[in-house]
Amino acid sequence: MRDIPRQTTLRQWDQRYEQMQKAGVAQPSYGGLLSRHIEDGDTRLLKLRYDNSAAALRLWNFLLTEEDRLREARDRGKKIVGTMKDLGTVPVMAYSLDNVVAFYPDGAWWTPCVMELNAGLLSIADSLGIDESFCPVRAMLGAFVTGSRFPIPELLICSVGATCDDFSAIAQRLDGLGYPILWWEIPHRRTPEPGEESVKLPGGFSAPRCQVEFVKAELQRVRKALEEFAGQHLSEEKLSAGIKKANQVRRLLADLRRLVFGARLCPMPALEMLVAEMLAIHFCSDRDEAIAVLKELLDEVRERIKEGTGLLRDDAARIFWVNPVADLQVMNLLEDCGGRICGTEYMFTHALDEIPENLPAMEALAQMALADPMVGSLADRASRICTEIRRFDAEAVVISRIPGASHCALEGQVIGEIVQAELDVPVLEIEVPSLTDSIAQALRTRLEALVEAVRERRKK
Amino acid sequence: MKRIIYSCPYVPAEWIAAHGLQPSRIIPDPAASSAVRRPADCRKTGAGASPIGPVEGLCPYVRAFLNEAINDKRACGVVVTTVCDQMRRGFDVLTRQCNIASFLMNVPRTWQTFAAQKLYLDELGRLSLFLVRLGGNSPTPDALAEVMLQYDAARRSIRASRAYLSARQYAEAIAALGQEGPAQGRKSEMGRGVPLAIIGGPLTRGDFDIFDIVEQSGGKIVLDATETGERGMCGPFDRRRLHEDPLTELANAYFGGIQDASRRPNSELYRWLGHELAARAVRGIIFRRYVWCDTWHAELQRLKEWTDLSVLDIDVAGDTDTERRRWQNRIRAFLETLT
Ligand code: SF4
Ligand code: SF4
Repeated sequence: MRDIPRQTTLRQWDQRYEQMQKAGVAQPSYGGLLSRHIEDGDTRLLKLRYDNSAAALRLWNFLLTEEDRLREARDRGKKIVGTMKDLGTVPVMAYSLDNVVAFYPDGAWWTPCVMELNAGLLSIADSLGIDESFCPVRAMLGAFVTGSRFPIPELLICSVGATCDDFSAIAQRLDGLGYPILWWEIPHRRTPEPGEESVKLPGGFSAPRCQVEFVKAELQRVRKALEEFAGQHLSEEKLSAGIKKANQVRRLLADLRRLVFGARLCPMPALEMLVAEMLAIHFCSDRDEAIAVLKELLDEVRERIKEGTGLLRDDAARIFWVNPVADLQVMNLLEDCGGRICGTEYMFTHALDEIPENLPAMEALAQMALADPMVGSLADRASRICTEIRRFDAEAVVISRIPGASHCALEGQVIGEIVQAELDVPVLEIEVPSLTDSIAQALRTRLEALVEAVRERRKK
Repeated sequence: MKRIIYSCPYVPAEWIAAHGLQPSRIIPDPAASSAVRRPADCRKTGAGASPIGPVEGLCPYVRAFLNEAINDKRACGVVVTTVCDQMRRGFDVLTRQCNIASFLMNVPRTWQTFAAQKLYLDELGRLSLFLVRLGGNSPTPDALAEVMLQYDAARRSIRASRAYLSARQYAEAIAALGQEGPAQGRKSEMGRGVPLAIIGGPLTRGDFDIFDIVEQSGGKIVLDATETGERGMCGPFDRRRLHEDPLTELANAYFGGIQDASRRPNSELYRWLGHELAARAVRGIIFRRYVWCDTWHAELQRLKEWTDLSVLDIDVAGDTDTERRRWQNRIRAFLETLT
């Protein structure tokens, strides 16, 4: 049951859902009215606009039922591990074990937005001395203390080293509150010294061989901890199979990104694409279902492109977006202002790149972890952004600052300078807090000005 | 002698000195660095007199350090470490803004594994290559051992003089060792007052007034657990190991001996504090932190929960003059509650 692509409100989605039900469109076990999530407190959903495809509905329902999925997994006897900060590497290992489910408590980052601060997680963080000078990930502390957002994992594994200070400090606070953490070190990725053996990493960065070996040894520690936790041997075969599955997700996302960002008419809005990209990190706690959800989304996009249908104006300004937005509504806002997303760097491009399958598993995973754009220099990160801007033919860049984030104070300036020097495209830096309602007009004005600048440049 | 500047306590001065270069652990001056003009050898990336102006979210210490490094005409190299994310990003700015030779040293946050310790040691090896490129000489073990003995003696002498120095003089003696290397004959003068500890990140130049302010208000800092103070000074070397394998002993003393909030886990910092606070009969703690410093900020509440002592939180934005007046009042009130 396909329809002309458009964006709908939550209420319109409910009506459409009823029609789908009447038409006998099959729904997954976690399917249902999107509005039911409002009862869980996810009130921001009321203010968002959604793609009207059945594929998008499935995507949203999959995202919003993760907590139930985790609790069900625990009830079925699965063990739950909280992987923290590395965004994409340790879950590949964890999901290679058949009795372990992994998720990122870091995902509480979006709770203040989705629940419009109603959950009180930030006030709990405040009471623990972690105030608004930290990034929104501080909501994670409240989620642990209340146990209301996700089941408390039996094992916590956190990468540290070349990571942000916010997360490192908050995770240490958590550890101090009696949630012990297994720390593993990810060093700052550096340029190989002259004469030093160099390794080309997935995604194109390079690192010295000794750093790859170091990370491999660190991940070996993690592997041992996971084995003890699961009571299972995590063999090379299991890891290789886990990598293959993760690559299935990554390939689907690569196709999705290539088609959506490259299409003449936008076939899938920015918000759904953001959610889809997030699935790469830990498969939203169900790897096989994540693959099915992405396949359906990809099929929808292919159909739309084939039919020549899509959303937004066909002259929408092609925007490359850097950093995820703490308020999901800003993705809608960009489109309202005449823009569309053509390329993203949401700080986890390494989780989108395929993991080499022709290497021993631990070598491949170590390379992947080191390919994280956030563990290297800003120049590295900017160069990859430039490559992607060229690839998707983006006409302007938005760097969205995350309030309080330790990396945001200086990165915008450096990335902006490099991108401008190399590509001569307009760059806009904005700050996006968890709720933008009070600054929506100012944001709108700035985004509209950027779109206008793009249109002016087209005339030249 | 060619001067190498740095600020992180995990950079061993002995290693730089043993290469025949002058290590200088700078204590930046936020007021001076925000007024300086961009030097001729720095690439211009924008208009304005100050290389890095106040930036929302930027730790004032990072800003002061970067500006000092950018404008230090006597330095031939700068060493930055990865102990803090803001500094790590600051390094990227430094390399773009300025032509000074710069080196980013990976200092692991984890410390309990052999791999982390080895990584630190390997980084000292890489630092050596950098120093040699700047004209230093790779030292023999004996040469390194000799320099280590000099520094060790200087640190012992400073520690021994603690009882005879005012808190400010003691802090300045530690800072001077970092800036200028071992020296003799520092003047002594002892103060009295309610014993306090100061805990936190590094001090900037104007911040040393805090010791005077405490004394004028009836207290005395008996434990300087700031990064520029005793906490950032490595412990005594083991003489036998120093002669057998000086570089490993140097790495052990620095990486294994200096406790910091940034370590994961940072339980050893609390163990160290527990010991020192008790040994010095501390009665109150001044917790000094920079705004936007997540690493220390996150420890404030934990420290309050951990200790029975009163804790005074002083947040610093880098404007020393205005802040001094605020400190004065708050420290005076704090001491009144303790007496
Ligand atoms: S948004 Fe930035 S500061 Fe916050 S947890 Fe993520 S990487 Fe760290
Ligand atoms: S005070 Fe904090 S933010 Fe500033 S340099 Fe030190 S650790 Fe980094």
